[in-house]
Amino acid sequence: MIAAFFREIAVAILAIWNDKGARSTMLGATLFFSVFFPQPYLSEVVRDMPVAVIDQDGSTLSRELIRRIDAADAVAVARYTADMPSARALFLKRQVHGIVVVPPEFERDLLAGRAAPIAVFSDGGYFLLNSVMSSALSNAARSLGAEVQVGRLTASGVDTTQAMAIVEPLRVTTVPLFNPTGGYASFVLPAVFVLILQQTLLMGIGNLKAGRRSAGGLSTFADAIVYVALYSLWAGVVLVLLPWVYRLPRIGDIAVMYAVAVPFLAAVTAMGFAVARLIPSKEGVIFFLVVLGMPLFFLSGVSWPAEAMPGLLRAVAFVIPSTTAVPALVRVNQMGADLRSVETTVFVQLALCLAYSVLAVAVERWKKSRSA
Amino acid sequence: MERRAHLAAGFRRVLLAEMRQIGARPGLMFMLAPFPLLLFVLLAVVFQLGLPRDLPITVVDQDRSSLSRQMVRIIDATPEVAVTQEEGTLSEGRQRLLSGQAYGVVLIPPRTERDVLAGRRPEVVLFYNNQYMTPGSLVARSVGGALGTVAAGISIEARVARGADVESATQAVVPVPIRQSALFNPSLEYVQFLLAAVMPTVLQIFIGASAALSFSRDRQGVAGLGKSLRLGGTLTRTAAGKLAPYTLAYLLVLWGADALLFGPMGARFGGSLTFHVAYGVVFVLASQMLGAAAALVARDTVSALAAVGVITGPAFGFTGITFPRLSMNGFSDIWADLLPVTHYLELRTDNILRGAPLDISMPAFVWLASLALVYGGVTLLLLWRHGRPRPTQAGEGAR
Repeated sequence: MIAAFFREIAVAILAIWNDKGARSTMLGATLFFSVFFPQPYLSEVVRDMPVAVIDQDGSTLSRELIRRIDAADAVAVARYTADMPSARALFLKRQVHGIVVVPPEFERDLLAGRAAPIAVFSDGGYFLLNSVMSSALSNAARSLGAEVQVGRLTASGVDTTQAMAIVEPLRVTTVPLFNPTGGYASFVLPAVFVLILQQTLLMGIGNLKAGRRSAGGLSTFADAIVYVALYSLWAGVVLVLLPWVYRLPRIGDIAVMYAVAVPFLAAVTAMGFAVARLIPSKEGVIFFLVVLGMPLFFLSGVSWPAEAMPGLLRAVAFVIPSTTAVPALVRVNQMGADLRSVETTVFVQLALCLAYSVLAVAVERWKKSRSA
Repeated sequence: MERRAHLAAGFRRVLLAEMRQIGARPGLMFMLAPFPLLLFVLLAVVFQLGLPRDLPITVVDQDRSSLSRQMVRIIDATPEVAVTQEEGTLSEGRQRLLSGQAYGVVLIPPRTERDVLAGRRPEVVLFYNNQYMTPGSLVARSVGGALGTVAAGISIEARVARGADVESATQAVVPVPIRQSALFNPSLEYVQFLLAAVMPTVLQIFIGASAALSFSRDRQGVAGLGKSLRLGGTLTRTAAGKLAPYTLAYLLVLWGADALLFGPMGARFGGSLTFHVAYGVVFVLASQMLGAAAALVARDTVSALAAVGVITGPAFGFTGITFPRLSMNGFSDIWADLLPVTHYLELRTDNILRGAPLDISMPAFVWLASLALVYGGVTLLLLWRHGRPRPTQAGEGAR
């Protein structure tokens, strides 16, 4: 029995190596995608986004404001234009991604204690550029405004401490946790890596098993063990080694990661067998999985909050292992969550593993009874 | 005239043969229209709310004063967030973040109200989960705004107490107000932003894969490509006849999704409809040519599909819709230019969102058309090479 089992294990390993499709998905594609996919995001943050300035005041304070805008890492004052139409033309040609208008009398109003508004036009078609513009501008405007106010108050005889207490009676500090620089690669990649594991594992199983008869319980079990073991190694590469290579924050405990990853990989493997038996052609399985990649990413709630999705959809999405495993692994690896915080996910994955195993067996029985 | 008729007949023969092939494969028929439309509905449901509301946050109120309660009330009143738990200590609040039950924790330290009254400028801290950047930054913005409102109220009171009138005190609180307006897409709708961009990216996979399948089916078949070429007469007619059913099906899907987007879902269409139709057609053709070329380069059907998957699957990151192209590395920038969807989305943004004049969009349109021509050229070249009768063909067929 034991010997037979080990023989099946060896057979399963050789099967992966000998099948070109399985070799290229389970060995090649996993590595390829984890190197290729991160490329667009590797600079992490937007730096020196070009903006156009229309300075209608031309005063010391307007120049000071523009200097502060330019000093922000994320934006750079690239062009000075005389009027709105020419700035708009630059914007349409994508030579600038924001426009700042400092109106005439800016300095006079500010020094007289009146509100001195500035107009800012940002790019609503690209959300990241839009928020880069907002934060750079509000920081510059707030710091200049506060300084002028404190200056006015101290000039009227109030001491500095008291002036500060009037201008800013309550200090509001916002502390970004886990991804302190707001890096885009740090945000997207940890989730994408988990999804790459799921999709390439499913494709590999599809390549090996789609349209083929089951070779018996022991052999299938040995296959499953081999797949989970192989992908546990991949999990180490993709979730521990690659974040280190790409310098993504990772603070999690590796033991806790595996406590989630192994049940997850078992659930994916069981799902792979079920899918391979339901979709009889290799091409069908691969195509189905390539197309589903992006929708599954959005369903995981990492880029788009799960709270904003309808309850029914969230319930249905539960049947996909990645829906709960992606956020759980991100919480463990990037946020340092302990086992207690992700135990629900572990149970969900084990339940999915059981359910898909039952489904795979049922489909096989049904096919046999139909062909008999 | 007679020659024209003959050529058209070749096109029709290949077209009919391809339609019969599709008709014999229910899986392929499902992939032509129902599946992409189902995915569109799925994605539309994901983004249906447009903007997230009531994102859960936790409050750690160690002050328990009327000021701290006022802060909690004002935070809870902002539409984007909802205070769902109150905890006694920061570590309990942190646990809520780790288990995914909250996106942020607001810490109001003891004696906050007393320190405000004494002019000691106490600090209120918002910790937010920036690993989940979309909800995290929304939480930061709305909670920061709510606390700013509270601080502004105190500041106004202090100035009025010092003898200022209410109006000038109010103006003094925000000395340099920013009138920010988003040029184009002013409502900052995620539906416009994400759904409209994700759908063509997903469709590019379908279009490329269907073209790849069509050509590799012929190549792997016993008759080889030769049969289709004989039916078509010329290379161009054969390629056109084979791809035409898919062109039509995916154009209908593309425009069907747009009809839903601009009809019932209420997105604004601000550009030229004719131009929208034009670059839509070129986009579908370019994606087909990409898939066909991949199929003719790859050795078998699975590799052809894998090649299309590798090129079109990760395309979204390269389009610059989420992370901008101006911050990408050189490789990504070049790769992005080789993907039809990059230029299609740029044209969409220019035309629909910005209502830009045609001359602005010309470079992107020329790019898209050139991709169609180059990939089309590669397809025809390979078709010519593989279609030539070869002595080894009989041996390959027997394998």
